[in-house]
Amino acid sequence: MAFIKRRVLRSAEIPTASQADLAFLLLLFFLVSTVIDVDTGIGMTLPEYVENVETVEISKDRMASVLVNETGDVLLDGQPISLFQITATLKPRIQSKIEMPKNKKLIVSIKTDRKTVYNAYIQALDQVKLAFFEVRDEYSNSRFGRKFIDLNETEQNEMKEAVPIIISIAEPEKVAQ
Amino acid sequence: MKFEKRRAQVKLEIPTTSMPDIVFMLLMFFMIVTTLREVTVLVDFSLPEAKALEKIENKRLVNYLWVGKGDKIQISDSIAKLEDVQSIMYAKRQLLPNVIVSLRIDRDTNMGFVTDIQQELRKAYCLRINYSANVKI
Repeated sequence: MAFIKRRVLRSAEIPTASQADLAFLLLLFFLVSTVIDVDTGIGMTLPEYVENVETVEISKDRMASVLVNETGDVLLDGQPISLFQITATLKPRIQSKIEMPKNKKLIVSIKTDRKTVYNAYIQALDQVKLAFFEVRDEYSNSRFGRKFIDLNETEQNEMKEAVPIIISIAEPEKVAQ
Repeated sequence: MKFEKRRAQVKLEIPTTSMPDIVFMLLMFFMIVTTLREVTVLVDFSLPEAKALEKIENKRLVNYLWVGKGDKIQISDSIAKLEDVQSIMYAKRQLLPNVIVSLRIDRDTNMGFVTDIQQELRKAYCLRINYSANVKI
């Protein structure tokens, strides 16, 4: 009589029905923890550092000087002005120089005191940038019928040439303390 | 004669076997895209708000410089002194010639201090800067 080992064949299967749930759980975790943070800010280019600064005379009509003092008051070309009027005041001045050659475009100079709060300076700079951006948008709208961001690269360069953003950050005067 | 409703003998089931694969694919995407914050910010700062903002397209070029309350400067991972800014940034610039310095400055900092930092950056030839700001609504 032969003895045959009896094997019980149990079904050995891992249930896969909940795998999707597991994956979803992981997915949700990564969805929530993902920070696709886009850095936003006001871009500027500093001038090169030179030891002896040469001064060049610039005609008054080419310059717009913005002065922000330590209490946050703004002077535009010697006239006191509220912060939110800067854009509106600068826009016509930028627009009037669109057709002019490169060396006649408007220069905006921003000057602060050493004790001016950074936030006040950024607000003023923001207003000036906004003026340039709005002029660019309006001009490109009248020429191409599109906003500046929707233009292609050559058109954008053309716009940049017509409305260059020239902002000069003047050093605050050193006051003996 | 009885009228019976005829029903189509088709199984109405959406195959769900490939669903985990799809979900895993999505998971993979988010895992790759996720950047966990590597730098711990050691200074206390709150950014100003502005409207005329630009995005920094190339994140690889960005180097951060924080200025917190009490005129503390932090560059990448450690607190730095004003005198050291030039040498540190110059070294960074040599690694990445067209580096953009993102200035994350506290809104209550004095402009005199900001100007000093900018002078150091100019000496280090880090000329492309970006005043980091939040979107004003």
